[in-house]
Amino acid sequence: MIEDIVRILIYGAVISGMWALVSSGFTLIFGVSRILNFAHGTFFVLAAYFAITFYKSGLNLYLSVILGVLLIGALAVAIYRFLLAPIREHEVMVIIVTLALALLFEQIILLTYGEHGVSLPSFVGGVVRIYDVPVTYKRILAFVFSIAILVILEIFINKTRTGKMISAASQNYEGAMLIGINVERIFTVTMFVSAILAGFAGIFYAQIFSANPFAAIKSLIFAFAIVILGGLGSVKGSIVASFIVGYVLATTIVFLGARWAEFVVMLLIIAVLIFKPTGLFGVEE
Amino acid sequence: MRGLKNYLIGLIGLIVALTLPFYTPEGYLFLFGMLFLFLILVLSWDIIVGYTGQVNLGHTVFVGLGAYTAALLQVPSRFESFSSALASMPPQNQFLSILIGGIVAALFGAAIGFVTLRLKGYYFALVTAILPLVFIQTVYVFSDVFGGEEGFSIGLERALSQSPVVRYYVAFAVFLLCFLAMRYIVKSDLGYRFMAVRDDEELAEALGIDVVKYKVLAFTISSFFAGVAGATIVLYRITVGPDLYDIPLMLMIILSAVLGGLGTLYGPLIGGIIVYLLKNLFLKTMIPQGAFVNDEIVLYAILIAVALLSPEGLWHKIRSSLRS
Repeated sequence: MIEDIVRILIYGAVISGMWALVSSGFTLIFGVSRILNFAHGTFFVLAAYFAITFYKSGLNLYLSVILGVLLIGALAVAIYRFLLAPIREHEVMVIIVTLALALLFEQIILLTYGEHGVSLPSFVGGVVRIYDVPVTYKRILAFVFSIAILVILEIFINKTRTGKMISAASQNYEGAMLIGINVERIFTVTMFVSAILAGFAGIFYAQIFSANPFAAIKSLIFAFAIVILGGLGSVKGSIVASFIVGYVLATTIVFLGARWAEFVVMLLIIAVLIFKPTGLFGVEE
Repeated sequence: MRGLKNYLIGLIGLIVALTLPFYTPEGYLFLFGMLFLFLILVLSWDIIVGYTGQVNLGHTVFVGLGAYTAALLQVPSRFESFSSALASMPPQNQFLSILIGGIVAALFGAAIGFVTLRLKGYYFALVTAILPLVFIQTVYVFSDVFGGEEGFSIGLERALSQSPVVRYYVAFAVFLLCFLAMRYIVKSDLGYRFMAVRDDEELAEALGIDVVKYKVLAFTISSFFAGVAGATIVLYRITVGPDLYDIPLMLMIILSAVLGGLGTLYGPLIGGIIVYLLKNLFLKTMIPQGAFVNDEIVLYAILIAVALLSPEGLWHKIRSSLRS
């Protein structure tokens, strides 16, 4: 019993940290530009595949990871500039195009890497036993890195000039335009930040588990559950909600098995929508 | 004049559909029957998305619900591990099964709509996007009943008919009934209320239209027809499987409706014919083995291109350029 509890506490914290990265990026771009990016999970998994490809071609591990994450940021900016910016006014089309992109990349990954998972080597090896539960150092490191990146995000948004502009644009888009903020540039920067947040999470995921083509859509489900619980558009809400959903998922997996994860997430979403539709920190639309 | 021309086109379509079995090889005839059932999916999706303006990304859930309902009503013995009372039920009449498949889908649609459509904004799109993946999981978790990844066969003797030609005509008849019913709905007062909700929610509300009620109603109607089509597909092709829940089918429906133009009734019909035949007749044979693309990649790329070139739908664009 004590082992189960320790396992839930530790594994839950690790996946919560990763989902916090994914969902804060998803909610950030939504909050700023009202783009509901169904390709966000694709950034998550593709960053890992990029890093794996660089690493296999002989590059240093750290360099591969940084290049993978930067490349996904660049791809996201290109997608925004060429595909999403021209149709931003048509909300239905933005959803359809990003969903089509997600499935397009899923097929490309399938054709290029096959359907089996591919792992990325970890920065550290070794295992520590906590109450007889083996915990690998890579999990602990992933958690520490996730929290560190979230802290940097917080500082970036609250302390830097660009961050404050992002914050302003998310509060009032027209107001931000009126005081001379170049919102188009802000949207591009936000897209870049949003994608690299997902990219980092994908790297950690591929180190602990493995990257596979279907992880893109799966990670998106958990991100949706988190942003609905946390309130659409609220970064703080999605970080808090990540830990709730992460622990719910860890508990489900330990006691019922992984195949029940989607059901439990769905029930959670329905419960939130019935009892607290605006989420924990949601803003009224 | 315009009315006469439309009737003429409709009449030609009807004659072609009715005479198809006389000059079409059996393999292709099967495909055309499937095409008609696919068209019901496109048209019914358009009721909630094109006419009512609510982005439903989980239409295939209702296709699958109708499909599995109809299939299990033909082979109730599959319930053995779940409930012996259900398992000992005799197989049901096929046409009753189609109706029940539609009703089951409509009930789920009403329940899901009731929870999600009360909320403005993006919740409906987010929740419906997740639904197919949740329902696919049910197929794996309860694989004794639903048959897991492989699905199961209902057996030729429980199909709509043993003869492929008769099955084709039944599929066409189901399509025609659904098409006429949906045409009647969108051209009635109800259809105008749906469009009012789509065009300006606040204005519709000010006019005394209960916006939430009509959104849920549109979603329920749309789900009903998806369930009917799903049930008919199973009784037509004899097998049921998780592909009927899956996202590639959803994207085919979206592509057809977007290509044709949302909320135009005839546009999605033409879009559906083009997309279905493109995928099943041309793409499969045209792409060489070992190429870096497959048919799905081509369809997704077309969808992105169409959405970029004319966000209002290609049909609107062609029609307005013809007029000017």
